[in-house]
Amino acid sequence: MGGTGNLLYIFTDALRSLRENLITTVLTAITLGFALAIFSLFLFIFLNLNSTVSSLGDRTQIVAYVKDSAASDSARLKEILLKVPGVKSAEFIPKEKALEDLRRELIGHESILDGVDAAPLPASFEIKVMDSFKNPSQVTATVERLKALDWVDDIQFSQEWVEKFSAFLKFIELGAITIGIFLAAATLFIISNTIRLAVYARRDEIEIMKLVGASDSYIKIPFFIEGVLQGVLGGVFALIIMAVGRYFLLSEIPAYFSFAIASPVSGLMLFLIFIGAGVFMGVAGSLISLAKFLKV
Amino acid sequence: MIQLFHVSKNYEGAASALTDVTFKVAKGEFLFITGPSGAGKSTLLKIIFGSEAPSQGQIIIDGRNYVKIPPKEIPLLRRRIGFVFQDFKLLPNKSVFDNVALSLKIMGVNPRDIKKRVLRMLSYVKLQHRANFNPLSLSGGEQQRVAIARALVKDPAIILADEPTGNLDPALSNEIMELFKEVNNKGTTVIIASHDKGLIDRFGKRTVHIENGRLVN
Ligand SMILES: Nc1ncnc2c1ncn2[C@@H]1O[C@H](COP(=O)(O)OP(=O)(O)OP(=O)(O)O)[C@@H](O)[C@H]1O
Ligand SMILES: [Mg+2]
Repeated sequence: MGGTGNLLYIFTDALRSLRENLITTVLTAITLGFALAIFSLFLFIFLNLNSTVSSLGDRTQIVAYVKDSAASDSARLKEILLKVPGVKSAEFIPKEKALEDLRRELIGHESILDGVDAAPLPASFEIKVMDSFKNPSQVTATVERLKALDWVDDIQFSQEWVEKFSAFLKFIELGAITIGIFLAAATLFIISNTIRLAVYARRDEIEIMKLVGASDSYIKIPFFIEGVLQGVLGGVFALIIMAVGRYFLLSEIPAYFSFAIASPVSGLMLFLIFIGAGVFMGVAGSLISLAKFLKV
Repeated sequence: MIQLFHVSKNYEGAASALTDVTFKVAKGEFLFITGPSGAGKSTLLKIIFGSEAPSQGQIIIDGRNYVKIPPKEIPLLRRRIGFVFQDFKLLPNKSVFDNVALSLKIMGVNPRDIKKRVLRMLSYVKLQHRANFNPLSLSGGEQQRVAIARALVKDPAIILADEPTGNLDPALSNEIMELFKEVNNKGTTVIIASHDKGLIDRFGKRTVHIENGRLVN
């Protein structure tokens, strides 16, 4: 006659209670699966857009045209450029290359350039801006500094584009974070309520067990095992829902947008994350809801 | 073995259920608690059982002050007490057998002994033919006997029974009371709340009468 009771017994009992509550367990797991799948699909879109947006940002670029008189000493000019605050890299594009590039862009209409030999385009530097300088005011300051160089003929740079782009980036992030917070709150709310209801439905059983002399751990074990099972099932459901959901989305959305719902991690990793999150929520949810009813 | 000192109980938002109750029950004693409906009999049993905490006063059982024991030890104390609840408190999703077995399982008794003891107990309360039934499919009197079987099967040191014959016919009532007497003869302390005057008189045991939450002599 042990104090906490025979362990094997507790477990066979837990399994039996699992069978008795199978429908609730499965329903809770499905809810968990939907919640996890919807939240992570959103997370995918957010992460993918975010990384696309910041790689777009990498293209923020300034073209500085060089006066013909100075173009011969490109190595020295490059050194000067790299010392200008905000400049990350500078690539020299000689006249000939500029002409070649132009030809390539004019494929089919090359005749326009017939008779043009000494390139009409000036040599230039393609300048990339440091990440920390990628906001409109700092980019403008860098452009001003470049303009001040006496061998720079002209600067090509779209001020408007930088501003719009930066505003767009902020808008996307703000919107995504807002939606994300609501979605996370809704997810937690739904899961905790589902679990609370499942525990609530068994409050009489819990009370009776306590009155007959069951220790808290004797009562908790079946709930714990159920929480784990719910979590694993929920993870599996989430993966299935995610796969089916993506299949339908892929056939509905334009192909160029399909990158947005690609998983940033491998399928196995995703599965493990789902199960981990599911088990955590299942167990924590059950035990927290249970605590209230153990005070008999 | 059971001592109550100046115990009072006030439920929230209700008049006082017990007021300044002091009495002693010796080890192996057989005691009736009587009184009209609402007098506080159930409350008194629940306080002895530890499922309700007194608002005031002390309860000492086997030399231990109930009011001061750590919550972790409460399950151990409850295993030594068999309680027959006025509303039975049977698990509706478990068979009669499992309901009675529950109190033994919790104590870690091995399955073979559980089976033997539960079946024997069920035959004492004349329910062996109902072992696999669901409690909800039983009559009130049958459910009451399941509750009695569950309380007695663990051979507790103390039996607290709240109206254990309330739903039984006179013949069955007598048999159940004989069962309590038998258990008492083996040394178990028995406290029974009842307002069945005839039954109490026939038994001629010590009786504590409460009215309006106070002991009356
Ligand atoms: N959980 C509770 N909350 C509030 N008041 C309660 C509670 N339980 C009992 N009471 C009140 O305490 C008083 C005593 O109730 P108790 O159940 O102890 O009476 P009783 O003597 O067992 O009556 P009966 O013979 O009808 O079972 C009653 O007035 C009742 O309304
Ligand atoms: Mg009562």
